[in-house]
Amino acid sequence: MAIAGTMGRRSGASRLVESYGQELVVLGAIVVLFIIVGSVNPRFFGGNNLVNIFSGNAYIAVAAIGMSLVIICGHIDVSVGSLIGVLATIAGTLAVQGYPVWVAWGVPILVGVAINTLVGALIAYVRIPSIVVTLGMLSILKGGLISYTGGTWITNMPPEFFIAQARLFGIPAPIYFMVVLTILMALWMRNAGLGRAIYAVGGNPEAARASGLYPERVCVLAFAMHGFFAGIAALLFATQLQVIQSTVPPNLELTVITASVIGGVSILGGTGTVIGSTLAAVLFACISSALVFLNVSAYWLRAVLGLLILATVLADMARRRRHRAAGRL
Amino acid sequence: MTPLVELGGISKSFASVRVLQDISFDVRAGEVHALLGENGAGKSTLIKIMGGVHRADAGEMRVNGEVVHFASPRAAAASGIAVVHQELLLFPDLSVAENIFMGHAPRTGWGALDWPKMRARARDLLDRLQSHHIDVDARVGSLSVANRQRVEIARALSQDARVLIMDEPTASLVEEDVQQLLAIVRMLRDKGVGIVYVSHKLPEIFALADRVTVLRDGARVGTAPIGELDERRLVSMMVGRPIDQLFPKQETTIGAPLLELRKLGFGSVVRDVSLTLHAGEILGIAGLIGSGRTELALAIFGITPATTGEILIDGKPVSIDSPQQARDLGIAYVPEDRGVQGLVRSQSIAENISLSVLKSLATGLLIDHRKEEKLARESIAKFGIRARGPRQIVRQLSGGNQQKVVLAKWLATEPRILIMDEPTRGIDVGAKSEIHALMSALAARGLGVLMISSELPEVLGMSDRVLVMKNGTLVAEFDRDKATAEAVGAAMTLANASDEAA
Amino acid sequence: MSRYLLRHEAILAALLVLALIVLALQSDRFFTIDNLLNQGRLMAEVGLVALAMTFVIVSAGIDLSVGSILGLVAILLGVFWQKVGLPLPIAMALGVVVGALAGLFNGIIITRFRVPPLIATLATLALYRGLAEGISQARSVRGYPDWFFVLGQGEMLGVPTQLWIFLACAVVAAIVLGMSTFGRATYATGANAVAARFSGIPVDRTILLIYTASGLISGLAAVIFVSRVSTTRSDMGTGLELDVITAVVLGGTSIFGGRGTIIGTLLGLVLMQALKNGLALAGVKGDGTIVVIGVILIATIIISNLVRRDVDG
Repeated sequence: MAIAGTMGRRSGASRLVESYGQELVVLGAIVVLFIIVGSVNPRFFGGNNLVNIFSGNAYIAVAAIGMSLVIICGHIDVSVGSLIGVLATIAGTLAVQGYPVWVAWGVPILVGVAINTLVGALIAYVRIPSIVVTLGMLSILKGGLISYTGGTWITNMPPEFFIAQARLFGIPAPIYFMVVLTILMALWMRNAGLGRAIYAVGGNPEAARASGLYPERVCVLAFAMHGFFAGIAALLFATQLQVIQSTVPPNLELTVITASVIGGVSILGGTGTVIGSTLAAVLFACISSALVFLNVSAYWLRAVLGLLILATVLADMARRRRHRAAGRL
Repeated sequence: MTPLVELGGISKSFASVRVLQDISFDVRAGEVHALLGENGAGKSTLIKIMGGVHRADAGEMRVNGEVVHFASPRAAAASGIAVVHQELLLFPDLSVAENIFMGHAPRTGWGALDWPKMRARARDLLDRLQSHHIDVDARVGSLSVANRQRVEIARALSQDARVLIMDEPTASLVEEDVQQLLAIVRMLRDKGVGIVYVSHKLPEIFALADRVTVLRDGARVGTAPIGELDERRLVSMMVGRPIDQLFPKQETTIGAPLLELRKLGFGSVVRDVSLTLHAGEILGIAGLIGSGRTELALAIFGITPATTGEILIDGKPVSIDSPQQARDLGIAYVPEDRGVQGLVRSQSIAENISLSVLKSLATGLLIDHRKEEKLARESIAKFGIRARGPRQIVRQLSGGNQQKVVLAKWLATEPRILIMDEPTRGIDVGAKSEIHALMSALAARGLGVLMISSELPEVLGMSDRVLVMKNGTLVAEFDRDKATAEAVGAAMTLANASDEAA
Repeated sequence: MSRYLLRHEAILAALLVLALIVLALQSDRFFTIDNLLNQGRLMAEVGLVALAMTFVIVSAGIDLSVGSILGLVAILLGVFWQKVGLPLPIAMALGVVVGALAGLFNGIIITRFRVPPLIATLATLALYRGLAEGISQARSVRGYPDWFFVLGQGEMLGVPTQLWIFLACAVVAAIVLGMSTFGRATYATGANAVAARFSGIPVDRTILLIYTASGLISGLAAVIFVSRVSTTRSDMGTGLELDVITAVVLGGTSIFGGRGTIIGTLLGLVLMQALKNGLALAGVKGDGTIVVIGVILIATIIISNLVRRDVDG
């Protein structure tokens, strides 16, 4: 036991770096960004700037929680952008047609869960690769949405519908959603049997089966929960402006996937945390705002984002390679 | 005494192919019951029925005298039956403690995982296996194969297993780890656990087993106490015919030097290796896993090119930076991991064999399919590959026949230097001796063979000379007549042997 | 392998025939030469990129950046010609070269830094589109000389110019993938890259070439696109990657690599285009057709999965 004591333990700091490496990298990037932008233009911290940025981007963080579950479970979903658009439209339509506000909020969440449960079942039980199913769903949802709305915007929702514009202690509701859901899910993923099962199934489905888990059910569960978070994200998206556009930001699904991956969720499944994906979503928001305060033309936003994504990915690969090299010796 | 587990009249078919027929088998408390048979004899299926993965079509299974029907591995575990899988079904990204308790972790009052308790119990289980050095918080992916296996055994114990099924547990372990594993198995037996032990390695069976059951073609050939059997008898029960010679080494004349290494090195894992391989010679390299044997082969073959030193072929210095260059210089490498490195298992026999000689099969840039087919047919005949034809998918072949496809692929390049890394790992007795005969015949035709193996009998039985590698460098050399198990084994493990090189 | 592929392609061909019959019954304008040739014109850009994407996916990769490369090359074509003042043919050639370089850059990230292709091209999707937006500053370039429109709007022997280009590329791609040593290296790389490397296949070079070709052909598609619509805008080709991947997967190429044919991709492309066009003629609103394509994609894979399981069992 004495030997175990000396060999087995390492410092808490090194363990923190090992288990939350990518999360710390993203956090570091946010801090560096704050320092640089803040020193160039102190107004960056002024007024409600930061609060507004975080609030406007919170729906991406919420969607990325669900996406992280799906990717950790060993799958991917390229249809979430269209799904959010469809669910937002459902919410708006119900609200305009005079249904009680809790119906307008609740139905899209249920629909999101139902659709993604079906997607999960097709993947788990019919054994179609997730990228194929969700590629198909992307077409179906996108086409369905545009043919239904005909490209018109939804307006005239009742005032109580706009949950994303509510404030508590001066802080907009979306930030509460983002923070509370992230913390709850981080705890659940760490401490619940089913949360760990998602890691197990994503890491090694055969071993999961041999451990008495049911990989198919876990997969359906991950997708169903992803549908739930897509529903919440859709509500935040639908209620942040006075109108609901019939289209979502282009490549929204890719933004959400990118947030998960930059946050440290391995695209191969089995590792990552929702804290990372939320931090990454926050980082994206900071970058877009920072460009404005640095007087960079908005048209360069995407190029800068792309470069940053690339840099983060390469840094992550370098870190993992060092990790592997260390493990081998 | 009632057996812990008792199977009677078990039969099982997959898609109208009968895999098991009327098998009876039992395990008693405190015994090691070895299960033997060639690949395809039905051992795996029998294990899977006991472990709750498959259900038998006919027959019954009793646990402690009561009839059971397992619907899932979970049900089998609940009845006290645990399996240590050959391929080690673990989660590389999760911690040791979590691997041990996945699916049955201790919970706190309100249903969350109880991490402190899980870690403490994991520590306790590993200590019981004399594995004090394994950190319960380490990622399993960072552990050695032997340590991963201990994690899997700890996992079985965590479920209070009274029957432990071990499927070829020593297949990828080196001698030192094998001995420690055998000690663990004996300790568990002495505590009253019933152990079903599957292995191809007869010395282990004789060292460990109390009783032996042999399966052949899905039927039980017999069950007997180990004292009533000898090696020859066991082998003939398994293959259905007597095997005259386990290592059919032909006497050959050793020719001129083919391959010379001068102070070859790769990073810190291969250091200052100098050796000469002659035409017609089988040069065996023994050593523990991690001693740098495979890394040496990878450096010679250009997968990870050597960082220091020289390689000479026919006395002329050559540079090898890629497998293509190595191939063009007449070097072939039959790799350690057949499924991952050796074969594209989703492709056909013909496609696999032609992979290393695509250029010579092509007219211009296009592949000549008739030539390809002809090469495959010739190879199937020459190597005795049991297959339906050149278009059969490699995945469907047995391990021995897959290994013959790898060999055929590399001999199609007409190499002069053949490196074989663990040439018979996981291959049954019959196919093993065929591969050995082939190796011997190739050397007799003037090829130089560099053979890396963890099985000491194979190294001693097949090699003209034996080199021993340790900590990345060569520490000893033995001629065929001086290479005894004791001498080579000592050189592999003893600490002082490597000091001179460092 | 080949037997399975034939089966998937047979299902697809049957589906295509069925779709053509139904669509022809729905509208008498569907089966006119004019309409079919025009559809070929519309299909050429997606089709060209899909040819390269077949190689990419067979090699167990994916290239999400093709739409962004198309957008970037389109913008650069205009910039080289109008702002820099290069002769248009040179601007066109340079544009295609930039496309190839963008593809090469993808390949380098994937092979040198071992970044999974999905992540690598996700990053360059944002990067290349961002460059296109940044360079163009939302200004479009118009006023190309008349001869330039031959490529995208003209005809040769009564067939749209770009359809000739597409067909020529398709024949070359089919021969290279199906019969050449490079094609065999692509399959082996996709099915088991480690074993391919251990067999002396230059895996990294194969992957580099494939992604470079993917970028190059996206650049070519960009030039044709600009010529067809007479203008350049930075959002050109947005979402192209999903259309292309759908066509390739619909054509039976396994998303896990190691399996797929150019013939399958062609069938997938034609089926998609026929549905879009036929349904539009039958009065389905433009976007309703996307729904049908999604359903067809999932349904085809389900059917061919079920058939395959029967064979294996």
